[in-house]
Amino acid sequence: MKLAWIILSALCNVAIVLLVAPFFQGVLRKITALIQSRQGPPLWQPYFDLLKLLGKEDIESGQTPVMQRFAAYLSLTTVLTLACLMPMGFPAPLDGAGDAILVIYLLTLSGICTLLAGLAAGSTYSLVGTSREMMTMIALEPLLAVAIVTGAVHTGSFRLDTVLNGSVYASSGFPWSGAILLGVMLLSFQAFVQRVPFDISEAETELMEGPLMEYSGPKLALFKYAQMAKLVIYSALFVGLFVPWGSALPFPLSWLIFWAKVSGLVLLVTLVAATHARYRIDQAIRFFASLLVVALGALILASYGY
Amino acid sequence: MIARERLNQLKEKFGPAIQRADLPGDSRLFVFVEPSALKAICQHIFRDLDARYVTSIGLDDRPCSGKFLVAHDFAFDRDHLLCSVLAYLPADNPKVDSISDVVPGASWAEREMRDLVGIEPVGHRYLKRLVLPDGWPDGMHPLRKDVPWNHVPAGYDEEREFTFDEPPEGCMVVPFGPFHPTLDEPAHFRLYVEGEMVRGCEYRGFMVHRGIEKLAESVLTYNDIPMMAERICGICGCVHNVTYAQAVETAVALRAPPRAEYIRTIMLEIERLHSHLLWVGLACHIVGFDTLFMQSWRIREPIMWIAEKISGNRKTYALCVIGGVRWDITPEVRAELRQVLDKLEAEWRAVVAAVSKDKNIQKRTRGVGVADMTLVKNIGLIGPVARAAGADIDCRRDHPYAAYDRVDFDVITEFGCDVWSRVVVRMKEVFEAIRIIRQCLEKMEDGPLQVPIKDELPVGRIGVSSVEAPRGESHHFVITGENNRPHRWRVRAPTYQNLQAVPMMIKDQQLADMTISLGSIDPCFSCTDRMETIDLKSGVTKVWSQQELESMTRRGKA
Repeated sequence: MKLAWIILSALCNVAIVLLVAPFFQGVLRKITALIQSRQGPPLWQPYFDLLKLLGKEDIESGQTPVMQRFAAYLSLTTVLTLACLMPMGFPAPLDGAGDAILVIYLLTLSGICTLLAGLAAGSTYSLVGTSREMMTMIALEPLLAVAIVTGAVHTGSFRLDTVLNGSVYASSGFPWSGAILLGVMLLSFQAFVQRVPFDISEAETELMEGPLMEYSGPKLALFKYAQMAKLVIYSALFVGLFVPWGSALPFPLSWLIFWAKVSGLVLLVTLVAATHARYRIDQAIRFFASLLVVALGALILASYGY
Repeated sequence: MIARERLNQLKEKFGPAIQRADLPGDSRLFVFVEPSALKAICQHIFRDLDARYVTSIGLDDRPCSGKFLVAHDFAFDRDHLLCSVLAYLPADNPKVDSISDVVPGASWAEREMRDLVGIEPVGHRYLKRLVLPDGWPDGMHPLRKDVPWNHVPAGYDEEREFTFDEPPEGCMVVPFGPFHPTLDEPAHFRLYVEGEMVRGCEYRGFMVHRGIEKLAESVLTYNDIPMMAERICGICGCVHNVTYAQAVETAVALRAPPRAEYIRTIMLEIERLHSHLLWVGLACHIVGFDTLFMQSWRIREPIMWIAEKISGNRKTYALCVIGGVRWDITPEVRAELRQVLDKLEAEWRAVVAAVSKDKNIQKRTRGVGVADMTLVKNIGLIGPVARAAGADIDCRRDHPYAAYDRVDFDVITEFGCDVWSRVVVRMKEVFEAIRIIRQCLEKMEDGPLQVPIKDELPVGRIGVSSVEAPRGESHHFVITGENNRPHRWRVRAPTYQNLQAVPMMIKDQQLADMTISLGSIDPCFSCTDRMETIDLKSGVTKVWSQQELESMTRRGKA
């Protein structure tokens, strides 16, 4: 009975992410349009876009179509697996199946999918995009790892339900390390969800979508879907790590509060994306590197109990 | 008499090499010289007298004089003087000493002359094909007078390919174009990239050459050409329209009535407004700042509407005929234009304030795409690119035309030499354009729009005209001819010079800066190519093979 319940709630999480992700994308596009004095597409446009792409002819192009297909499937699968590990207004369905380290792994894997896609395309532009993506990953992933490890240091556990419950603030006295990491994550959040000013590896005007350039039709839909879902997943992760307040309330209330917080994050992402120009890869890497130094400082503070 | 003074300087130094000279006014000087002394004279003018190189023209003059003619145009900007140095070449052996080693900016013009007219620049170090397609047979020069305008050459070799230079060692080749989201027009840059750094580049453009000059010299008539000229460019078409009309007018000593001159000035500045607003938007788009892109285009829209009210078209105003203009500015339009300008000025101030304070944009544009004074001088760079490097040149002030001598405005210069300075120059020039239009509306007098022309225009006169387009000086060279059409008409669009500097501007820069560096010259490939887009028949789905497409385009309407 317990197993059935776990499976059911995992499926429920997956379904919610799949349903909600295009909606948030729609919100993002609508608000962007309003900022730009445009009318913008209807809120449900991303659903239509995905349906249209899914219904198109599946063209195999690029150097290694097998890898290309694999990367597209893996990308969405990874993100949906992550959905089962995220608490979304109620405890994560696969709570006992993995720990925070697994979450870090899966997040990295979703980045690796982009690398695979770029390598499979084999064009110069996708390769430049791939190398940029790689540099970004190397500089960016440690930030998240440091945040999660800091939480683990505070609580002495890598269990998901403890780490993703505001663990970074779990120090005695004022949570210095948590506050610093909150700042670091806010500053780098655009990069995690691959939006302007850090959409460097795809930069339409420079690299023509970079790693994704050989994708079209259903496989492009999968990648786009994964990207939309990532926005939700990273927001859920951010909420779990840094703004857990209200998650202990009874079910419908905690659930509503959770999605309100996610919406707030999406709004923030939109505003930042609409008011910034894209950074160059070297500028971005330097920025991430300095954030990493600060984050490591926070980790040291955490190990001394602050 | 500055023109005579310059001529005397040349005579003093070169004496017998100078065969004859025309001084049709104090602002034009045409010097006919011995071909053997051409290079030395150009070097003297360019280096010692510090003139700015404009362009070179080749001409098949065999039907008239039995010879070929070559001309190098220079501008003495501080003296308000445009100068052509011309030399006749023998018909059986049209060769001339290349000036491109002393005037590097002449490289393209000489290659074009070789392609189209078949005048061989002796000593040119880089004689690759520039304009003609790769498969075009050698020794076939379309601008020669014995070649009909719709001639299809025998022996077109489809298999022949353009040979690119060897990439430098350790570099990867990144093909940029012919189609790229930021180019919007076909042009191919072959970038040599080491990691993320651009180490060099080769350019292959002119992919859709339309042969407008040939048409003008063989099919069209004087008053058809302005309408064709403005189709050279989709953004600054009016500039070519006016420049051509003025070139013919100066050649035959005709002057448009004052009201027409004011209207030309107003339309040119309206065009500058819409072009600069468009460019600032595009530049923001290139660096990923789409909000400002959209806002800038929103602000621009009323300008397009007022242009439509005046001319019936958002673009392609069909403004000039020889000796005047075709559209009047009515009192209602005048009032509305004032309102549009007031609103534009207020909104543009907000944009400028936002951009000036934005650290993010400056980070992407400062120190990027550097073109310093040496490059400006050598390649003959013009417009905002030159003014952003501190070169105080502006044809509106230096070679006044239309009503620019009757209005008051500042020439904006900056000293950063980089993309950011070009952004600043263009943003500030918007205010100057608004100022100029307001003064024109104030000062415009009543009167006729055209001078009546009763006789045929005289034959064999030379006229040159320079107009400050939004991207720099647009220069037209006209020799009047028989059958109510010019004998030779040469167009030098601003991008023609500015594009030649791009390889130097992007060298040793990040690949990511390539697009904004290229964008910063506001490239207009169609101007350079003098080309037209092809529209396809809709409705029928058919896959065209390369042969079919080519046979379709080469059929020609005989």
